[in-house]
Amino acid sequence: MRLVGSAITTAILILGFAAIAQQTGPGAQPPAGPQPSESPPVNGSQPQVDESALRYFASQGDTRRVNAEIARLRALYPNWTPPSDLSQLSAGGNAAPDPIIERLWNLYREDRIAEVRAAIAERQAADSNWKPPEELVTALETVEARRRLVNASDSGQWQTVLSVATESPGLLTCTNVDVLWRVAEAFARTDQPTRTRDVYTYLLMNCANPAERLATLQKALTLLPEQQVTDLLQFEGRTGETPDDFGSIRDELARRRVERASLDSKMTASAEDLAAVERLIRNTNEAGPVLVLGWYNYHHGNPARALELFKTALDRNGAAKAAEGYAMSLRALERLAEAEAFAYEWRERAPENMKIYLDIATALLSQDPPPRLDAQVVGRIVPAVTAQRFPDAAQALGWYSYNTEQIRTARDWFRTALGWKPEDEPSAYGLALSTQRLNERAAFNAVVARWRNRSERIADLADGTNARSGQRSAPVQPRVEVDATPRPAVSRQVTVERVEVEQPLVRTEEGVRVRQTQARSVLGRSCAMTRNPAGLSGDAALTRGWCLMEINRPLEAVAAFDQAIATGSSRSREEAAYGKSLAYLRKNLTSEAAVAAAEAPQTRSRQVELGASILTQRALAAYRDKRYVETLLALSERARLVPEQNDLLLIRGWSYFNLGRYKDAEQVFRAVQRTGHSEEASVGLNAIREATDQVAQ
Amino acid sequence: MTLQVSRRAPFLPWLVAIFSLVMVMSASSQNLSVQPLKIVGTVSAADWEAYRSRFVEDSGRVVDTANGNISHSEGQGYGLLLALAASDRRSFEQIWSFTFTELLIRDDGLAVWKWDPEAKPRVTDRNNATDGDLLIAYALAKAGEVWQEPRYTAAARKLAKAIGKNTFARSGRSLLLLPGADGFGAGDRPDGPVVNLSYWVFEAFPVMAALAPEYEWNRVWRDGVLLLQQAASGRVRLPADWLSLENGLQPKPADGFPPEFGYNSLRIPLYLLRAGMTDMEWLRALKQRWSAENEGVAVVNVVTGQIRERLADQGYAILHAALACALDGTPVPAALRTFEPSLYYPSTLYLLAKSLLGEKYPQCVSSAAP
Repeated sequence: MRLVGSAITTAILILGFAAIAQQTGPGAQPPAGPQPSESPPVNGSQPQVDESALRYFASQGDTRRVNAEIARLRALYPNWTPPSDLSQLSAGGNAAPDPIIERLWNLYREDRIAEVRAAIAERQAADSNWKPPEELVTALETVEARRRLVNASDSGQWQTVLSVATESPGLLTCTNVDVLWRVAEAFARTDQPTRTRDVYTYLLMNCANPAERLATLQKALTLLPEQQVTDLLQFEGRTGETPDDFGSIRDELARRRVERASLDSKMTASAEDLAAVERLIRNTNEAGPVLVLGWYNYHHGNPARALELFKTALDRNGAAKAAEGYAMSLRALERLAEAEAFAYEWRERAPENMKIYLDIATALLSQDPPPRLDAQVVGRIVPAVTAQRFPDAAQALGWYSYNTEQIRTARDWFRTALGWKPEDEPSAYGLALSTQRLNERAAFNAVVARWRNRSERIADLADGTNARSGQRSAPVQPRVEVDATPRPAVSRQVTVERVEVEQPLVRTEEGVRVRQTQARSVLGRSCAMTRNPAGLSGDAALTRGWCLMEINRPLEAVAAFDQAIATGSSRSREEAAYGKSLAYLRKNLTSEAAVAAAEAPQTRSRQVELGASILTQRALAAYRDKRYVETLLALSERARLVPEQNDLLLIRGWSYFNLGRYKDAEQVFRAVQRTGHSEEASVGLNAIREATDQVAQ
Repeated sequence: MTLQVSRRAPFLPWLVAIFSLVMVMSASSQNLSVQPLKIVGTVSAADWEAYRSRFVEDSGRVVDTANGNISHSEGQGYGLLLALAASDRRSFEQIWSFTFTELLIRDDGLAVWKWDPEAKPRVTDRNNATDGDLLIAYALAKAGEVWQEPRYTAAARKLAKAIGKNTFARSGRSLLLLPGADGFGAGDRPDGPVVNLSYWVFEAFPVMAALAPEYEWNRVWRDGVLLLQQAASGRVRLPADWLSLENGLQPKPADGFPPEFGYNSLRIPLYLLRAGMTDMEWLRALKQRWSAENEGVAVVNVVTGQIRERLADQGYAILHAALACALDGTPVPAALRTFEPSLYYPSTLYLLAKSLLGEKYPQCVSSAAP
């Protein structure tokens, strides 16, 4: 089968080379070597062995050398048999032996080509009529061509490889499989993969050595598209003395198909291919196929099996890649705490490992409900996030802090996240929420101003605030607007170090407990559909209540929280009462809020938070209604719970002012001035001066 | 005094311009006036044997004994030229065999320049060095003619075409010989083009022009002469080995190379003499500088004029002797008449100089000379 058509193949191949040589431009010379028609017929059953030296020694009757040469050629080509006509040559060798010819062949056999050339030149210089044997010249040219071809190939000079091959087609035989391989590579490197395939096809059709045939397919795997490699498998010889075994090539192709599918959940691998990879896993100690199958399972909905496989890969020194898969599988199995601890250990091994660690930390922090985390865990997440400047995790730390009632820390993390990723809407939303909670109006307004047009929910948050102030139509004294005017925000870069030092994340263990908040929107919940909360379980009603708060429908939220208070556990009731108070506060219904807060016992921190909020609302409402004494009462009550911030101090100042208590007012305005808000304070101080001057007049 | 200086100062650019113009004119009048050398038979069998046995391996590899026993295209070119000079056809063929199979493997037909016996693959830098290519092509062309060997002539022609095609570069109005096909052009480095004047093997140009007449060898030759005159017109009057022509014909030392008239440039006067271009004024100045009463042959900083290294080897001393002989007829001192091979490079320069003296100035080396 292999014999048929081999000569035709050679011809096609050589024509191909000639075409290439012509493409190489003016530098290329017409083939100097033997023309294609002169090239020796390719013997498919046995390699083309260079018998020229042997024939020469035989013709000289040098039996010792003949035998040595036969031994040498047999060692090189195990399938070769000496030609039967040697004895005839020997018998007919009646010409006088020429000592130089013998010396030349000896040098040639020792691969001392330059010396053969030198000796020929020397002899010709002495005797211009002398000619070296044609066989020797051909042999020399072939060796030189092979050397140039190999050197050019080693130096990536592929055009030279092809032009040498074209000029010396005699090289392209099964005796020089290495040359054929290099020519095939040169075609591939010069974007002629079809010709590469032709060379491999020629080789598989004509050359018999099973090891070389297998190696040919291995080369094809590195240079040809898989389909072409698959096509070459048809040349596998299944019969004869030395049948081929291309099983390893098939396995490799299967492994590659599974590998491709392993990264794409939409691609499935055949059971046959998967079985081939399983076999590879069993038959080798390498991590490679294990990883392939691990990823395949990971991306095809089987993280539990993936986890096992990545464990095996780790045991087989699969290292960073295996660790990445292991951590990802743990995450997929929602074993986040384990995943975090594992990924932390591997985070420095490769950038991918750091990335997966940060992703897992982010997921851990973003859990719903917020988990109770060890101080140690948070303590190691923070420096990693800070060092890597990873905005998603900073945002997650923001929500985690927010959900555990560490609003200032939350604010700082959201700011940090925005510093690393200025276009991160969720972080901006978090910042808006937390500055609103902290009553930092300037900061809140700054976020709103920047995001109003890009984020509906941030705009809604701001509109909710305005709607509240607009509800009271009572005319407001111009001076009072000082309070509402956005102050130039003192842009204080939240330094990450500060955040780290503060690190209060784990301190409020109460806060860690279940608490649904506005932050939930990040998780993509929706409660926009109006529905009657009656009939909901306590927890569901609670969730719905918080969700409604988030989309700023506080009165509906009150109904949901009521349902939760009626049906929930004590924990839910406390939570719901808290939510209900906030809902009323949002509607400026401060007394209702106070009542709601009393419906269930609240923790100390919540008491403080709710109390302060209620009193703030109460003070502001009184102030708007020009009930200055009540304003001052509410403010003083509030000041016993939490320190009074500047905007409320100004309200206090103006209240004193409006009550004619100028000395007290002046004291307050001066205090505000000292904290750096001189502009608003100056307005007050000027007003006092004017008023007192008038009095003096 | 100060007044005079400040008044004169504005004229300085004019003086420079006029000076350059005169230079250009004198150079253009030299119309490739190279006197061809015969070469063959100008090195004695004894001198060649001393060289060959030290620096040429049986494989035909010429070994640079001062550089980790590597080989390079330049060395192969010199080896071929000296084998021809010694009429050693055997060695010529041997050296050519190595050159052909090991170095002449580039896709563009030029030779890879660096070959290291300790490395795998042996070719450790596949770039070419244009002087090596020129020397190989020149030696092949000469040998092909002398020995009537068409293989050599064909190889010489192929290489000449590759040189013309890949290493000539236009820069402003000049046509330059780049030191390599890649890495030296205007687009290849910020201070490009960068050239090396010692890569102009002047004597080879007419031979190359005959082999590959489609390329402007004459023009490259002429612009090389002009450039040499420009580069040697500074205060120190020596060109740096590596010149940046970023500013056209106002060469300056190239970045990343010492601003030195060094081992490379030492060959320039030898090449000029071998090409018969003895009327260049700069040679006279150099002869003065190199005389024993002055600084002698040395590596000199072309900016400060400071000497970094004095070169005492016979191979360098004979460069001065050849100048003195060619310009003044001074006989070569007796101490330089016997070849004492040391390292590859000075030994090569020595034989090249001696070959020239033997062919063109036998009176300076004849036993009758004092």
